[in-house]
Formats: sequence, structure tokens, C-alpha cells
Amino acid sequence: MRNFLLGVATLCALAIGVVSTVDAGDPYAAVQLWQYNAQMNRPWHGGYYAQQYGQPTALVVPPTAAMRQTLSWGVSQNLMYPIPHQFGRSANFPGAAAPGQFRPTPVWPSHTDQFGYYYVRGPWR
Amino acid sequence: MQTRPVIFLATLAAAAISFTANVGRAGDCSTGDCQGSVSVLDGGTVTTGSTIADPLTEGSVGSGDHYVGDLPATAVYGQRRGFGQPDLFYNYYTQGNANAANAQMYLSPVPVPPNVGHTFYTYQPFYPHHMLYAHQDRYHNYYDGGRGLNRTKATYYYPPVKTAVQNLYWNVLRIPR
Repeated sequence: MRNFLLGVATLCALAIGVVSTVDAGDPYAAVQLWQYNAQMNRPWHGGYYAQQYGQPTALVVPPTAAMRQTLSWGVSQNLMYPIPHQFGRSANFPGAAAPGQFRPTPVWPSHTDQFGYYYVRGPWR
Repeated sequence: MQTRPVIFLATLAAAAISFTANVGRAGDCSTGDCQGSVSVLDGGTVTTGSTIADPLTEGSVGSGDHYVGDLPATAVYGQRRGFGQPDLFYNYYTQGNANAANAQMYLSPVPVPPNVGHTFYTYQPFYPHHMLYAHQDRYHNYYDGGRGLNRTKATYYYPPVKTAVQNLYWNVLRIPR
């Protein structure tokens, strides 16, 4: 009985001690470089604003997230895209967009990107 | 002095943290980024912003010990974010050169009006975005004019027992319907 309890305690300690490490699986930082370039050259948002806020709204996802799924009418338009954008430390220009730069969600939305919410990965630190 | 907070990642809570970023003017105090206008009491004297001189790193200006994105130290409004001298609070912003609008990560989901006032996260280990995934982090902070260094090691992980029980329920016990 005593050994059993000791074993359970050891197992619990091990389970607590084991922290799943974050491994990007990217030893040469090729994906990181690709993500950086993609994020420099294309916007984090689509052309629509979120109805509640009047601006395209970023939805923070874990920095370990890699892909996003879009749904649309038609099976062939259910596509997966990478999420290159990540929040960073430097403030950028511009801030909020002037009214009229983004389109509202259509009355009959036909694509998930039309809702104005776009994934942006959270920062590592 | 070493503190060691251990932070549980509630599985559902992590998934539910959808503190959406808000879009606002960068650097505007009303939108949550008050750097440069925050008064910090430092040894009896009130200094402004995070421009309290760091005696350990101040001598090596321009030696390349800046974080990426730091302003030049020679600028009047330059902020030092060196080792052990973190900002009281600094926001995170979307990056890139092709944006018609930029989003800031805090507050959520949109900035509150300036007359309401808002909350700062001043303790880095408790930033909500760290609760999004399991990892470990170390935080350093000089105090007492550089004579002491506070090290904080934070471990973010999923509680094993709760996770095991949830796995058992969702993958074994639950009737698929």
C-alpha cells in the first residue's frame, strides 16, 4: 500500500513536472521567414468590417496556430489558409481606418471572411 | 528574490479567450497606450513614462542592445526596453506595411471612451495572451536602482488531472450524438 501511494505520488509529480514544450518544428526558421515576409506584404484584414465595431477586428489566436479554415458557398471554396500575421511590439501607422474604407457584411453573407473578424496570432512574449 | 507563479491553463478558458483586438490610434492614451504619459513614482521623484535611467545598460547606448522595434535612443521620446527594464505596460499591434488599419491587442474588444478609464496589465506573467498555449517564460526586473534583480519564472500548462478527466469524458464516455 505504501509503495502504491509512493508510486501514485511520483506519477503525479512527473505529470506536473512535464510541461509540453513549444516546438515550432522549424529548425532553420524557414516558416518564420516566410511568415514574416507574408506579413510585411499583405494586410492582416480582409475588405470587410465587423458589424459591431465598424472596423475589421482581430481575433487573437495562439501563436502556435498555423492554419485557418474558411467556409463559403460551394464545397470547393472551403479552403485552408496559413495565418502569417502576428502581433508585435512596434506600433504601426495608421491606426483605425477612416469610415468607408471597408465594406459591411453583406445581407446574405456567402463567405466567412465577410464577417470582418480575422485571425492574428498572439505574440510569443 | 525569486517568485514562481504557476499558471493553470483552463482548457475551455484558453479556447474562450477571444479578447479581440481593437483598432485605434496608436499611441493615443484613450485607446490604451499611455506610454509617455504614465507617471511612475521612482524613489520619491516622479518621472514620466519608462524613461527611468537604467544604470546597468544606460552606458551602452547604441551598442545594439535594443529590442527590435525600439526607437533610437537618441530620440527625445525614445523608450528603453532593455533587459530587466520592461515597460509598465506596452500594447501589441499588428505588423506589416500593407494594412489599411492596424489593430492593437489590448483592450478588448474595442477601446473604451476616455472618460471611462481603463485597466493596465502591469504584471507580465499574467498577460492573458500567455494563457493561450503551454510554455515557460522568465521575466526579469531590476529594482532598487539596479541593486536587485527580480526573476520570475512562469510555467503555463494544462492541469493534468482535469485534462485527463476531460479527455476521458469527451473521448471515451460521451455518447457520440
